[in-house]
Amino acid sequence: MFGIKSSMFSGTRELEQKIDEMHDKVLECSLYFKEAFEIYLKEKRSANYRRASKKIKNIESKADDLRREIESRLYIHNLIPDLRADVLLLVENIDKVINEFDEVAHKFYIEQPEIPEKYQAKFRLLVNQVCECAENMVICSRAFFRDFATVRDYSRKVYFSEHESDKTWAALKQDVFDSDMELAHKIQLSSLIGEVADVADKAEDCVDAILIFTIKRDI
Amino acid sequence: MELSYLFFLSSGLFLGWSLGANDAANIFGTAVGSKMVRFRTIALIAAIFVVLGAVFSGSGTSETLENLGAVNALAGAFMVALSAALSVYFILRMGITVSTSQAIVGAIIGWNFYAGKQTNYETLAQIFATWTLCPLLSGIVAVILYFTFKKLIKCCGMHLLRLDQLTRCGLIVSAAIGAYALGANNIANVVGVFVSSNPFKSLQLGSFYTLSAIQVLFFMGAIAVAVGIMTYSKKVISRLGNNLMRMSPVLALIVVLSQAIVLLLFSSVILHDWLAQNHLPTLPLVPVSSTQAVIGAIIGIGLAKGGRNIDWRTIGKIITGWVTAPILAMIICFVSLFFLANVFNQTVYLP
Repeated sequence: MFGIKSSMFSGTRELEQKIDEMHDKVLECSLYFKEAFEIYLKEKRSANYRRASKKIKNIESKADDLRREIESRLYIHNLIPDLRADVLLLVENIDKVINEFDEVAHKFYIEQPEIPEKYQAKFRLLVNQVCECAENMVICSRAFFRDFATVRDYSRKVYFSEHESDKTWAALKQDVFDSDMELAHKIQLSSLIGEVADVADKAEDCVDAILIFTIKRDI
Repeated sequence: MELSYLFFLSSGLFLGWSLGANDAANIFGTAVGSKMVRFRTIALIAAIFVVLGAVFSGSGTSETLENLGAVNALAGAFMVALSAALSVYFILRMGITVSTSQAIVGAIIGWNFYAGKQTNYETLAQIFATWTLCPLLSGIVAVILYFTFKKLIKCCGMHLLRLDQLTRCGLIVSAAIGAYALGANNIANVVGVFVSSNPFKSLQLGSFYTLSAIQVLFFMGAIAVAVGIMTYSKKVISRLGNNLMRMSPVLALIVVLSQAIVLLLFSSVILHDWLAQNHLPTLPLVPVSSTQAVIGAIIGIGLAKGGRNIDWRTIGKIITGWVTAPILAMIICFVSLFFLANVFNQTVYLP
């Protein structure tokens, strides 16, 4: 009656939990991705890498389920009508970051690129930078839900990591094409480097949206 | 009761209906506009509370209007209410928000002029002062609430979704308080001029409560306001929407609360007596405009946020409407009373 259901607050609590879980998935993905990359550098497509890549896949599919659940909860329980579109867009953007992690991990598994020793340090640096960017994006997104005042601070961190990853991406790509590897190998590595850097770009897009939502919602 | 009385009262009821249709947007327009609450739900709550406010707390402000000019003939009261309603209608057609409080005061002064009665300038000065004080006070209350809410939200670290749900509840409660305050403060505008010629008798409600004759009159007026809320306010809300300023739900809550507090301060006899007993400064019980209170609150918040979002041209237009409304109502009333008395042979005032 009167559109106010007794379960109103419990519905909100569950939704809060689901959104928190969605954030956790990005962090898990980032950690497993770093681990998987290290395994790949050492063992290439080994059983260990397969397991690590599988873990990322599982997280990605759980994140998809979570996204769908959040969407249906928002509409079925008529929660936060004013904020619904923004939250949905945010959740979709977060999901895109997770998808990108999974896609890159899978690409390593399928394509088995040969990463020469001399480029491994830079590649590792790039992976760490994009993971840091995604992790800061999670903190920024959590801040949007709990503490508007800090959203800006965390967004600066994301922009910084993204910028750094761009620099590493450009340097690494230049190194690859300056080398005397075969062109096919160069193109394959270049494409993979681009895909890794895309994780940071997706995180940056997500933070751009969060900043707009914050301006809209700030009292 | 004669049928003619109902006919004469119809102008007051029409004014009440338009008050309900227009002023409801101030109380819950933003809540409905932001889809935080269903129109049907909030309109029903507002309709109930507007009636309660009018019947149980409406007497304070009507005494002030009586002091300004006791319209002592039924046909005169009819024309006073009709002139106010017409001036509100014309100014609204020009796309300017207007206040029934100002229109009715202008119309009463028009009647005073026509009837050759002395306008109580002390009361008039008090009313004018209140019109300035109302938006100012509402702005101050809004600024205090704005900083309090901001601090509270920051300290609590509440999840945005939970904050949204609480805001939704807050909007419903504040709409109820706002509607009560609107009924208490503005019922005098609707049927206040009929008090002197009121033919209703007191009404016994079981063995618990007796409604006085004036309360029965206020009840009639309040029903008209409630009908206005239920039947036409949705159209007004969808037309006006969030034109004044794009507000977050929390800001909408602050605006509605400020308006409700200010309207209650200017209408609650209990509060007035309590403040007087405790040697605190009291405010005159005068019908004030909910539109003025809302605009005062919005300007207050706008200034608190740095003053960049305020459209001063629109505000200038609104203030022009506030000045025009009483003058237009006074002129319409004076001219119409002449016609009513000389063409229709009606007694518009008693010597």
